[in-house]
Amino acid sequence: MTQDSARLSDRVSRRKFLSTTAVLGAAGLAGCGGSSDGGSDGSSDRGSDGSASDGSSGDGSSDGSQAAEGDTETATGGSDTSLLTAEGSSTVYPISNKGSSYWNSNAPPSDGEYWGSNEESSVPGWDEIETDMLLADYFASQFGFEPTEQRSQAPFQTTIGLSHSGTGCQAVVDGLVDIGNSSGPITAELGWSEEKRDDTVVDNVVGRDGQPVVVSKDVSNAGVSQLSGDQIRQIFQGEVDNWNELDGVDYDKEIYVIGRAEGSGTDTSFRLNMLGDADASMEVDTRQGQNQQVAQLVSQNEGAIAYMALAFTSDQVLPIAIDFEGTLYEPDPDAEHTIFDSDYPLNRDLHMYTLIEEDNPDGGGRDRREAAFMNMFLTQFGQTVFVEQNNYIPLPTSDLEEFRSRLEPLKE
Amino acid sequence: MPTVTDGERTGLQTRARRQAERFRDFVDDTSPEALVTMTVIAVSLLAAFVGFLLVSSLTVVPFAVFLLASGYGWFRHQEETALILTLTTTVSTLLILGLIIVFIFRESIPVVQYESATVFGVSVPGLRMFVETRWDAVASPVRYSMVPMIHGTVMVTVIATAVAAPLGVSAALFLSEIAPDVVREVVKPGVEILAGIPSIVYGFIGFTVLSPWASDQFDLSGQGTYLFVGVVVGLMALPTVVSVAEDALSSVPESMKSGSLAVGTTDWQTMTSITLPAAFSGVSAAVLLGVGRAIGETMAATVMLRGVPRLTEPLMNVFYGQETLTSLIARNYGEADGLQLDALFVAGVILFVTVLGISIGAQYIEWRMRRKLGGEV
Repeated sequence: MTQDSARLSDRVSRRKFLSTTAVLGAAGLAGCGGSSDGGSDGSSDRGSDGSASDGSSGDGSSDGSQAAEGDTETATGGSDTSLLTAEGSSTVYPISNKGSSYWNSNAPPSDGEYWGSNEESSVPGWDEIETDMLLADYFASQFGFEPTEQRSQAPFQTTIGLSHSGTGCQAVVDGLVDIGNSSGPITAELGWSEEKRDDTVVDNVVGRDGQPVVVSKDVSNAGVSQLSGDQIRQIFQGEVDNWNELDGVDYDKEIYVIGRAEGSGTDTSFRLNMLGDADASMEVDTRQGQNQQVAQLVSQNEGAIAYMALAFTSDQVLPIAIDFEGTLYEPDPDAEHTIFDSDYPLNRDLHMYTLIEEDNPDGGGRDRREAAFMNMFLTQFGQTVFVEQNNYIPLPTSDLEEFRSRLEPLKE
Repeated sequence: MPTVTDGERTGLQTRARRQAERFRDFVDDTSPEALVTMTVIAVSLLAAFVGFLLVSSLTVVPFAVFLLASGYGWFRHQEETALILTLTTTVSTLLILGLIIVFIFRESIPVVQYESATVFGVSVPGLRMFVETRWDAVASPVRYSMVPMIHGTVMVTVIATAVAAPLGVSAALFLSEIAPDVVREVVKPGVEILAGIPSIVYGFIGFTVLSPWASDQFDLSGQGTYLFVGVVVGLMALPTVVSVAEDALSSVPESMKSGSLAVGTTDWQTMTSITLPAAFSGVSAAVLLGVGRAIGETMAATVMLRGVPRLTEPLMNVFYGQETLTSLIARNYGEADGLQLDALFVAGVILFVTVLGISIGAQYIEWRMRRKLGGEV
């Protein structure tokens, strides 16, 4: 070996090797740089090109708000088009921020990926929208805003800040922002009575945070489509080991119980909501940190039961109905009680609070900007793209219809 | 006996005296200016280090002094500066090692106190971690027993060694003694490349292919077995074993083998009675290195194991794989806090002590072989 390397080093000196490597590396880097430039030229015309075509404008977000404020004075139809601001919980942030990003970019219906449809793809829930308007134009025009018909120029701009649930609630009450994001009810965050809440703010629920219980395909095929809360507690506390020990289940297979990382937020909330106590004991066969791993385990093992984000369910990983004290919560979003409901014990509402103000239309809880923005989240499109794709639980059909109907009076 | 100790002591004393003499000579031979530069470099670096430990914003001052002094020294007294710089880097390596040891031991103190157990009326800190087997960081009684993880690590290591040692040593024997040159030239670099495959790749294959297959074949509830984690970790340790053992075998002098062949032994007899015994220290070092790799292997174990610390029933049941010391840390560091986090440091301490023991063991074997065979082999 030593001789070999000696022979090798005769032919190729270290300096030669290093310089060749350097040249290759530099060439590689140059190649990467070039291709990424090309990529951004090709695809992301919404960002840079948009502001360039604006002509008068310089850069970035401040420009956006200036433009919006400028528009305020010249706005037609009497609608306020100033910057819509929101702030609060990091849990709600992914939903509202993704919504805001989509809104501000105001994609054309030919885009296919973010809005509308083309021959390659179409956005979820497009068949109930089917418009030839741009994204923000479509939602804003329903509430009396003038469409800009210009990509990257929404009828009004939106921005989302990140802080805490309590801070977001306080900020909206103090009038610092238009929308306060909160993962807990404002009554708990600010120590309010329910009356005070009803007098001061309007609660807009845009989605839910929760962990549906799922089983593997073989369990589902064996006829297990629902379990009672108590049965799930028995399973996760190790009181039953085989599916056929459960009442009304005829399936001889050991239960493979999948839990989540010990002491994590998901683990604690499951113990609290399902087992009755944040310190309740659990006896599981395996613990996994991430939704992907849980989904993978459920799909490749028999007799499995787990809890995880809804977005990872598939035809191998099936959510089941749960019977809590006589109420059956079903996985079908059109059912009477669903696992997407607010009172399903593993769920909590994600709120966007708005302040009740005198100068709102009819002195109500939302102005037209807030209503237009909020309405986007209450469509099939919004629920799938902003809520479900962020691993949260979308609202069931009945809630969507009810919440949308509250915005109806503001439409023009 | 007393004479031997006396001899050793005088030996030590002479050595110390000689060192002191050398140091004095060095000081005498070096110009005072160079000596001052060296002192400034050493002291400023020490001061910077202390400042760094105290998180002082003034750390930058001694560090700047150190850089300046080194820069000056490099041009004016290159020899002495190089000497002090190499010395300080060596010292700092040892210092960093020492600090890491102190840190992991210090971090594990709270949970060691929490897990005190009383024996014959005396409270022994940390004992309960090794006599009970319950690990539960949430539900009461909260216990952080290390027994399940030690059990898991032992299981995985034993299986991995059972895979890697025979395969690795025989492959090394083949490559070194039997294979034609062309084969060796191609296969040995290939084996070394195997060592470069990231462990998550093995783990991922284990998680998606091996574990579900084992679960089906052996009719297990769910996936994750010590058996297959051990096999995978053994395969991962294989290149290390082959490579080190092959080096050891091929360093046996040709004259020894020729001598054996000359008295009429066959190739195989030479291998088993001359080459292998002569290279025994190197081969055992190879196996121990493989064991070390198996103990420390984290990623593959983490993705393939179940992650629920508990003993298997019966103890030698290899078809259920719960948790090892390393995978415990890897799986829980993100979510753990308080005592649970400290318990992870205890796992770190146990790993550290184990690896220390292994490396001392390897040194000892080497030393004994060298003494037995006399001189380098």
